[in-house]
Amino acid sequence: MKFQTRAVNSVGPSQFGETMPPVVQSSAFAYETPQDLEAVFEGRQFGHVYSRISNPTVSSLEQKLTQLEQGRGSVAVASGMAAVHAVCLALAKSGDSIVVSTSLFGGTYLLFKDVIEPLGITVHYVDPLDHQSINDSITESTRFVFVEAIGNPKLDVPNLKEIATIAHSHKIPLCVDTTLVTPYLLDAKAHGVDIVVSAATKYVAPSGTTVGGYVCDLGNFSWKETKSSGVQALAKRAGDFGFMVYIKQKVVSNVGSLLNPFNAFMLLVGIETLSLRLEQHSQTALKLAQFLQAHSKVDVVNYPGLESNTSHIVAKEQFNGRYSGLLTLRLGTKDNAYTFLSALTLAKNMTNIGDSRTLLIHPATTLYKDLTVEQQEAAGVFPDLIRVSVGLEDADDLINDFKQALDKL
Amino acid sequence: MKLKINGKESELTESSVSVIKLLEIQKVDMPDMVTVELNGDILDREQFESTTVKDGDELEFLYFMGGGAQ
Repeated sequence: MKFQTRAVNSVGPSQFGETMPPVVQSSAFAYETPQDLEAVFEGRQFGHVYSRISNPTVSSLEQKLTQLEQGRGSVAVASGMAAVHAVCLALAKSGDSIVVSTSLFGGTYLLFKDVIEPLGITVHYVDPLDHQSINDSITESTRFVFVEAIGNPKLDVPNLKEIATIAHSHKIPLCVDTTLVTPYLLDAKAHGVDIVVSAATKYVAPSGTTVGGYVCDLGNFSWKETKSSGVQALAKRAGDFGFMVYIKQKVVSNVGSLLNPFNAFMLLVGIETLSLRLEQHSQTALKLAQFLQAHSKVDVVNYPGLESNTSHIVAKEQFNGRYSGLLTLRLGTKDNAYTFLSALTLAKNMTNIGDSRTLLIHPATTLYKDLTVEQQEAAGVFPDLIRVSVGLEDADDLINDFKQALDKL
Repeated sequence: MKLKINGKESELTESSVSVIKLLEIQKVDMPDMVTVELNGDILDREQFESTTVKDGDELEFLYFMGGGAQ
């Protein structure tokens, strides 16, 4: 089945003929006999006992995500940050190290700096386009490699097959944040990726309504051979599901970061139109990028769909000619950036991406304000840079709004 | 053939079946999420089709990804 058919194909049994799974808003679940409850606790019978551990609506979403990714299993969590956190806790412990891209979303960078590094896990930051540095940074203590499929906001695109080959030569998995591309634009499994993490909040969720995330094991990595001791031990009991079971039982259940049922339902709604929206985001973003590139008051435009983007050729192959909805522009000075942002009438000045509406933000003074200048530059953030999340408005209307705002400079 | 599944005796008319067929015959809930232990050994999912169960085998169908298993 092709992607869009999988997206609208129902999951799980239907009680009344409904086509969408119901929102099962219950904290816990009753069983007829103590033997039944014991069987569920022991794992001899499928069921749910408590919605911090699992929930029918959340399970429906997890099945759907696994179908979309064509993976082994998924766990839905409270946010994209919770997904990255869960992978770190599952695979690394004090004394271990991980190799991480310098081209990161600011929140992810702060998670590594403020939460993961203080746990005694060493984080080696490398340019994701520099394969030699990635290879050289991996040591016996390295537990996984982490990159973003499209760096946010640097908009560089690592060659995932090449990086997967490097990681696998060291017998460690590659984890990729696919937030900007989703399984619609990127067949991560076919590109050798082992683990996908995503902020479903962005493109999976409909209309900027829902915060959520997920981890998916794509089935490319043998967890019996992992160097991560906790997962390796669990793989002896749970076989292929060792990593997912560790994420679900040892991390998400204990931390309490499982997604709630209503947000799971909203993400299920969003999945049905994901491909349609991403096609439109991609088309409009390319038109806007081309307009900005030709405008005399714009110093630099960056979009993976433009041939001037350093990763364009890799992006074209990995995303099948679509490049999602994020672009950046530089206007020479911070003052110019602020004047432009204030002059827009249609596009909104706010954080978040993937919304139906076009959203702009000045990253240096918001998302990256806690990073040093050197760290900002490594992530592609400069004082005159504006990040644009292109929405679903008519492209001509958007271009006219940008044009009148540029005329104010 | 006679099998022991999750501690209970079970009799099948077939003389041998693959694990994937057995999951279907037994109408196992959520077959995509079940882990199968055959005579004490965990099977990889890739082995479900090629592994055949025979008379006297002991199997456990386990839901580590479900709501309660610890």
